[in-house]
Amino acid sequence: MFELLGAGLLNVIQLKYLLPLFVGTLAGVVGGALPGVTITMTIILVLPFTFGLDPLQGLAAMTGVYVGGSAGGLITACLIGIPGTPSAIATTFDGFPMARKGQPGRAVWLGTWSSFWGGMLGGIFLIGATGPLAAFALEFGPWEYFSLFIFALSMVAGLTEASLLKGLLSGAIGLVITLIGTDPIMAVPRLTMGSEFLQGGFQFLPILIGIFAFAQIMTDIEKMGPAGSAEVHAVAAPSLKVSHLKVIGEILSRPFLLLWSTWIGILIGVLPAIGGSAANIMAYDQAKKFSRHPERFGTGTPEGIIASESSNNANVGGSLVTIMAFGIPGDAVTAVMLGAMIIHGIQPGPLFISQNPGLAYGLFAAYILAHPLMVLIIAAGAQLFIRVVSVPKAVLIPVVLVLCVIGAYALNNIIENVYVLLLFGVLGYALVKAGFPLAPLILGVILGDQIEVNLVRAIMTDSNPWLFLTRPISGTLIALSVASVILALWQHHRAQARMAQLPEQDVEF
Amino acid sequence: MLGRDGIAGLICFAGSLWLLVLTRGLPHPPMVPIGPGFYPRIVLSITAMLAVLLIASDALARRRRRPGVDAPTARRNYRLVGLTFAIFAAYVFLLPLLGYRIATFIFVVALQLALQPAGERHWVRVLTVAVATTLVTHLVFEGYLFVLLSRGRWTGV
Repeated sequence: MFELLGAGLLNVIQLKYLLPLFVGTLAGVVGGALPGVTITMTIILVLPFTFGLDPLQGLAAMTGVYVGGSAGGLITACLIGIPGTPSAIATTFDGFPMARKGQPGRAVWLGTWSSFWGGMLGGIFLIGATGPLAAFALEFGPWEYFSLFIFALSMVAGLTEASLLKGLLSGAIGLVITLIGTDPIMAVPRLTMGSEFLQGGFQFLPILIGIFAFAQIMTDIEKMGPAGSAEVHAVAAPSLKVSHLKVIGEILSRPFLLLWSTWIGILIGVLPAIGGSAANIMAYDQAKKFSRHPERFGTGTPEGIIASESSNNANVGGSLVTIMAFGIPGDAVTAVMLGAMIIHGIQPGPLFISQNPGLAYGLFAAYILAHPLMVLIIAAGAQLFIRVVSVPKAVLIPVVLVLCVIGAYALNNIIENVYVLLLFGVLGYALVKAGFPLAPLILGVILGDQIEVNLVRAIMTDSNPWLFLTRPISGTLIALSVASVILALWQHHRAQARMAQLPEQDVEF
Repeated sequence: MLGRDGIAGLICFAGSLWLLVLTRGLPHPPMVPIGPGFYPRIVLSITAMLAVLLIASDALARRRRRPGVDAPTARRNYRLVGLTFAIFAAYVFLLPLLGYRIATFIFVVALQLALQPAGERHWVRVLTVAVATTLVTHLVFEGYLFVLLSRGRWTGV
């Protein structure tokens, strides 16, 4: 393992890999710092730029975006009190008060170094656990895979905040989209309505870009004034000078907090359905519960920043384990990461690490190297990124939409993919307005083909449907799926009364 | 009377039923236990069932809701959203006719003008952003990443 990792590190420090990794990390930090531009959106925008690269170069760039984006949100969270990404929400609680007390450098660097340590510890888990978990997944037959995918889908649908029914229906719509095209049994055109283009089915990327980018952009445009006012104003850049040794000492002098928050981040990353946005809040909540001074939370205490930032970067490592070992994404961000891997010709899953050790350990190496790069980028450009926030949306939105069009077009160099982008852009926006969560839909689109193939394989092997329940792993996963739906029903029932009194809120994608 | 969820459920239900009807035309293989219509029918039936449940839950929720207690909603600029969609749709349909460079330039100018307030339009900035976006993306994708961007049927560029 260490030999392969060493070889991966030596490989990735070559300029041809280091450059995409650096550019990806830079894009991630900037995208993460921009309120309204999520990590998902940044990955979507960077993806077309990686089409011409070899798989490891492309993966290095995407890993950089993921790591950089998870940390970038802390800059605006600490300095202007607006989390750049949902995974930096809890950082705002103490980062911004600390900055307002005249310690912006301490706030930003506590967050940055916590992200670094959390991410590196997450990396140890990623490297150590992926192989054994992939070996375990090799025991899976089509029954287990089918049940695992159903479990992932039910978890994502069940944990959406809006409504369990809408979550499930959104996942079902995702599955319906994958029905269109050529069927995997007899290769006959299915539900294509005579269209030659639809015989190949819808490509994943235009759907993804359409749904996420438009949902995000159009909800931003909705909030613009009648005159489309440029709502973001230039921000004065504060000094971020700080003693790094002192800040690192502050973090490492709280080993239990760092390890516990990191563990929460990893665990939430491994579980399907829960992402960095939940990890940072849960780690913050745990840190407050374990603290001897919980009353200091929310006033600028370093514990709050350490908990939030170490957990959200550790979450990246945990999520990558699930993708690489099982081939299932945890949330919207990892769904996009999985899509990016597939576009680069990589099929993540239990065989990935054994069949492509060079690529797998190259990805581990890229993940590790992305962290010091992220620290360097924040050191060099944090003040500049604050100025980027002042770019008016009227300028940003047309540029983002042009990149979306290129991303869809460049996939196969066909204009039909751009029409698909528009179609799913309208659908994504309509679903958001109707209060449907988008993550289950995307997961349905990604897993739809695999669910069908494994169901068909299972029935072709043995037509006894009870095998889905009587095989131990498959039965456990089906039971967990049912339990997750029941749990969600119970939670929704409890929250119903509370939610009925709340005014209309922004939709979480 | 149906609410937002009820209408969404109704659309999903109608769509599922229509696709279910289409699956009747799929062939059934004599040698294997399941055919190409097997899985779609399961998925579409589940979708239709969930849609019916959504319609029912919406109807129940509307019956339980007391009149006059609707939460205040924030003002949204749907006109601007509609305009953005229209400009984007025009861009998408003009792209194969005008080519990437001309269509993109026009699109970036038009959308910036639509999103900026009439009194605050900076023409130099609008044109600079449009030219820079068109040229930089063209240069990067065609020159460096070898992605052949769309040529115009009318313009040839």
